[in-house]
Amino acid sequence: MVTIGNAHDDLIHDAVLDYYGKRLATASSDKTIKIFDIEGTQEYKLAETLVGHEGPVWQVAWAHPKFGSILATCSYDGKALIWKEQPETQQWSIIAEHKVHQASVNSVSWAPHELGAVLLCTSSDGKVSVVDFKEDGTTSHVIFDAHAIGVNSASWAPINTSGKDSQNERRFVTCGSDNLAKIWKFDSSSNTYVEEAKLEGHTDWVRDVCWSPSVLIRSYIATASQDRTVLIWSQDNTGKWQKQPLTSEKFPDVCWRASWSLSGNILAVSGGDNKISLWRENLQGKWESAGEVDQ
Amino acid sequence: MVKINDIDRTSTFAWSQDVIPLLATGTVAGAVDANFNSSSSLELWNIFSPTDKDEPVFSASVENRFYGLEWSKPFEGRPKGLLAGAFENGVVEFWDADILIKTKDLSKASVHKSTKHSGAVKTLQFNPNQNHILVTGGSKGEIFIWDTKTFSDPFTPGKAMTPMDEINSVAWNQSVSHIFASTSNGGYTSIWDLKSKREVLHLSYNGQLGRAEFSSVAWHPTQSTKLIVASENDNCPLILTYDLRNANEPEKILQGHKKGVLSLDWCKQDPELLISSGKDNSTILWNPITGEKLGEYPTTANWAFQTRFAPSSPDIFGTASFDGKIIIQSLQDTSPPVSTKVTANNDDEFWNKISTTDTQQPTFVKQQAPRWLKNPSSVSFGFGSKLVKITSDSSGKSVIDISQFVNNSNLQNSTDKLTK
Repeated sequence: MVTIGNAHDDLIHDAVLDYYGKRLATASSDKTIKIFDIEGTQEYKLAETLVGHEGPVWQVAWAHPKFGSILATCSYDGKALIWKEQPETQQWSIIAEHKVHQASVNSVSWAPHELGAVLLCTSSDGKVSVVDFKEDGTTSHVIFDAHAIGVNSASWAPINTSGKDSQNERRFVTCGSDNLAKIWKFDSSSNTYVEEAKLEGHTDWVRDVCWSPSVLIRSYIATASQDRTVLIWSQDNTGKWQKQPLTSEKFPDVCWRASWSLSGNILAVSGGDNKISLWRENLQGKWESAGEVDQ
Repeated sequence: MVKINDIDRTSTFAWSQDVIPLLATGTVAGAVDANFNSSSSLELWNIFSPTDKDEPVFSASVENRFYGLEWSKPFEGRPKGLLAGAFENGVVEFWDADILIKTKDLSKASVHKSTKHSGAVKTLQFNPNQNHILVTGGSKGEIFIWDTKTFSDPFTPGKAMTPMDEINSVAWNQSVSHIFASTSNGGYTSIWDLKSKREVLHLSYNGQLGRAEFSSVAWHPTQSTKLIVASENDNCPLILTYDLRNANEPEKILQGHKKGVLSLDWCKQDPELLISSGKDNSTILWNPITGEKLGEYPTTANWAFQTRFAPSSPDIFGTASFDGKIIIQSLQDTSPPVSTKVTANNDDEFWNKISTTDTQQPTFVKQQAPRWLKNPSSVSFGFGSKLVKITSDSSGKSVIDISQFVNNSNLQNSTDKLTK
């Protein structure tokens, strides 16, 4: 439908649509972020180029629209930046800098909006940080050691709005260069995050992790790894996380990213061979190809 | 992460191949401590352990001191690889790493000990493609090739063209497994071909700063004709890259060390990263392809004689120096500069403190992200089953595609039938 070439002067590492699918934010090794207006099914227009990072930009994340037009970005420069578009002038500016990490910040992800404006960052310094942007304009953060050698990515658990204290619903999964993924839960007594489960199964760096966003169907976690496999994790009757390989044979190259569709039943995987594949679970509980992408 | 650990040893070291690696250290030859202690030990460290990172997990004394220590990749019958030590008295000894870790008994782990070398063994390296093949080099120009599966009599690589006295560095070609390079104190870097059983090429350099005295050699991680050599001549402290298709002149000259260069390591996962260390006590990060200096790590208090990336986690590297320390640190450090806080009442204490690395931070000329962080492709879903794909070509151009995901019709049909 829409193809955007030559958008940046260097590799593009991430591209994410906003809540309404009308705008696309891109992150590049050229140190910039670009915002495109997607018009209809064929057209696009460059709306803005955001300059502020001092290194390659790895990821972008749109906040829920109830907080305004807000983007979080992260970079090799060790920072996460928060950008906001002023509704009156449509000018973008940096409204917050998150500089607690000592190495590349590899991922940014906003919590489910019910939890407030809460940003989760992972870094090559081995740490994970969670920043709260409060309504009065102040911020607070919690930072803790998560994976030796480096943390590559993280994903929030979908929120279960069954009337519990929302603070206790803060859960996410992280993955790292220690070949592991770990599930963390907020512990209000110690005011930090405690390890709830360790997902052991990969034999090389875990590059990406994605928690299926829907609570309507069974909850899945997908992990994509340098070992050329993707594992699907789900809880058995006792609550223990069990793994199932997505494919019986290894992928031809490194698995870089994994992403669930918004309904949670389709998984997309991108590889070092530049191939993108789509997967869904069949009625026998096996994962199979979910068709092609309509160009 | 920055500085991860200091190990208080004057030792040569070798990383294990694990993603969270162990470190093996062996007391280095050619140095004594303040007590003229001449003992020597082989030790293992688990520096990423949350509990016992400051003490060795294994320690045993050995009879002689090391010039080199190497840890092979796993191969048949050696699930954690082999450790090989090059000793000052000419001995080469091999230990099974798995048995050593499990039994913590050096004699049980020892699988072979040889006195083939007639003088000190200065250097050794396992073949990156034939994991059980080792090359050793030492005094009197002796070079031997070892098969550690059979431990049959080691053989020489053949006839030399250049005069060699002491071999101080060896390096296997990363893609052609029967080719290796050696440097000697005769001022030559020699290229050997085990198939034709002879030295096939040699390099020397004589430039404006003088004649290079080669101390260390490494091959390009993927391109078989390219290599890099370092000179330990204080007047000519250069690092030179060569393409052997024209070995008359270096391709790039990396100038930045103030005194002789003793060690270098070319990153296997990113050809645009190289670390070097030397007699000026410094450790420098380079882009050897462009010839640019990227940054400099805190200086040690004495010669930095060895520097090595962790082979499976190159975000981490170690530097060993004659000031009694092996410093393990991360490649990158984005923490803001801290003002040096040295508050001491007497002068001696002041100068003691200022000489330690704790008061320094790395300085970067250029922020160059390592290749292993740069994902070339990506995918994400958006509202209305829109799929955003990023793919890139080999020239580094990325293309974004936004498309509509269409359900697999067969599957859709069967689901439709089921729901009817």
